[in-house]
Amino acid sequence: MVVLLKWVLAALFPSVDGLIGLDSANLSAPLQRLSKEATLTFRLGLYLSAFAFIFSPIVTLGWPLPALWLGRSALDRHARAMAGHRWYLMRQAMLMLKTVGGAIWGADPAVRGQLGYAPYGHDPGTFRSDHRVDVVSQPQVNP
Amino acid sequence: MNGAHLAFRAQPDVSIDADYVVVGSGSGGSAAAIVLARAGYRVVIVEAGAWRDAADYPETMLGVMRDLFPDWGANVATGDSILPIVQAQVVGGGTVINSAIMVRTPGDVIEQWDQDHGLGDVLDHRRMGAALDEIASELHVTDTRVDVTHFGENNQRLLDGLTHLGLDTHPTLRNVRGCQASARCLQGCRHSAKQAAHEGWIPEVMSLGGAVLSCAPVTRICRKNGVAIGVKGRFRHPQTRKKGAHFRVQAKRGVLMAASATGTAPLLQRSGIALPALGRFWRAHPGAGIIGVYPDEVDLYHGATQGTASIAHRMAHGLKLESLALPLELVAGRTGGAGTQLTRRLQDIRHQAMWVSAVRAEAEGTVKAGLFGGVRVRYRPTIRDLKKLRIGSAVLAKAHFDQGARAVRPGIVGLPFEIGPDEVHLIEEAPLDNRAWTWVLSHLFGGAVMGSDPERSVVGPDLHVRGARQLHVVDASVLPTTLGVNPQHTIMAVAQIIARRLANSDHTRHHGA
Repeated sequence: MVVLLKWVLAALFPSVDGLIGLDSANLSAPLQRLSKEATLTFRLGLYLSAFAFIFSPIVTLGWPLPALWLGRSALDRHARAMAGHRWYLMRQAMLMLKTVGGAIWGADPAVRGQLGYAPYGHDPGTFRSDHRVDVVSQPQVNP
Repeated sequence: MNGAHLAFRAQPDVSIDADYVVVGSGSGGSAAAIVLARAGYRVVIVEAGAWRDAADYPETMLGVMRDLFPDWGANVATGDSILPIVQAQVVGGGTVINSAIMVRTPGDVIEQWDQDHGLGDVLDHRRMGAALDEIASELHVTDTRVDVTHFGENNQRLLDGLTHLGLDTHPTLRNVRGCQASARCLQGCRHSAKQAAHEGWIPEVMSLGGAVLSCAPVTRICRKNGVAIGVKGRFRHPQTRKKGAHFRVQAKRGVLMAASATGTAPLLQRSGIALPALGRFWRAHPGAGIIGVYPDEVDLYHGATQGTASIAHRMAHGLKLESLALPLELVAGRTGGAGTQLTRRLQDIRHQAMWVSAVRAEAEGTVKAGLFGGVRVRYRPTIRDLKKLRIGSAVLAKAHFDQGARAVRPGIVGLPFEIGPDEVHLIEEAPLDNRAWTWVLSHLFGGAVMGSDPERSVVGPDLHVRGARQLHVVDASVLPTTLGVNPQHTIMAVAQIIARRLANSDHTRHHGA
């Protein structure tokens, strides 16, 4: 699924006019992290959306082909048509894909550098474990 | 266990005694907990999310979705459209990810609570005013421009634009100290400038002998002969979601629910509370953004996240207009189009200003316990709500053009991606269809509302959940109306008034009048 998602997201955020897209970004690491860590609901929504993108050129272009077989220009037209499609669920599937694609694209250090933003540090993923504070007063109901 | 914080553990099981247990650690839970702890009671706070300090905060939006949002941000309300719900699941709750905006409860709301819901004896002007004052003073509520290193062009242009249109507009009031203008409120303030609950009140509760259980979703409120005697659940690892040890908190004086407007009512339902109004009267301030593209740089990410607001249209149209620096990643995902068209549209991100209309919606929804411990929210903004949104978006578009925007991106399906100054009427005539707008729900209310009518309220004026002794609700679930302003300050004030009444009545019961 990661390979398929990489392909779909790269189609949604391709490089253009010198601005780096997801076709040139490191997608493997974030997608692997996502497939390992995201909730089942989230992953299910994402995978279903990716399948909808792949199998809908018949709806957007009238071509009975999976999007994987489309040429560059036709794929671009398919992506655009799906994003603005009159069927709400098609647009929602694209919104799901774009939310994840945008999260990866906007965090990519090369993209951020090109847009003049400082790169992000890593996500520590840490949290506070057991901890005790000095108790300044024992509980006692105020008279 | 005094002063302890207990996080995820695989074993052994945990059992703690307390005077009060508070379920949820956001603005309502922490506000009530600190009042009770200062009154001398032993308070245990139980929070489903992990405790993350500033050094633990994620940098990327994927990290935010994983670490700070419940279910990776996949919480939605459904009706005729799918509306994302922005909420936090972390110690501190919404106070960790909100923009720190503190607005006093409008007087008309307090009057409405009195006249329509019979709450005047508890939440009157005097008590609310005193509680709001005290909280504002304690949490250092100040004008955004006073305590920030850089106000921000996004905020300044909205301030100037709406003022030129004759609308009363002002810098927001926020509870911050030493804001570094990083525009990263949504990701948690890495500078600890925001006076979030886990930075102040919650550690103080611990220092007064209380305890905190984190990574600890409550599955049931325990009752005996109709009296709430505690809560139970199982620890859950925040990353792997693996279940761990069981926990149980015995509370001899009571259980206070503050699990949010999406969490409290379902937990009451799962705990066997069956009341006609439970899960009903669920409300929100749905909002939608509008982007202006300027010839010069605006730079959304240098300044306060939400530094300017206007409630000039609150009474007439139920609108709050405000600036918002949405992170680049979210802007990328929500910009119209796909493929080369989308990437091209993102090239001018540094020239974009983003402003939002939040609607004091009339719609009423429901919240219910869903399958596998989930929550189901049904909500559908009405045609009148959509009309309000059209008005707000059109005003913001005019303000963008007043400030020199070369184009406005309304983000409405059926309209051009960009419109010029002569095309604002297109927004005013935009489709009255929820599926055409990119709504987001961030201010949530109801599900366990207060009131005097047993058919229309879950919590009575005596502050108890009806039919259950020693069980109270102290979060936004209890608010019987929307506010038309940011709710954090109101939630804190209501929670503290309720907690004070509890403390006083306990004291009277045990020590005489």
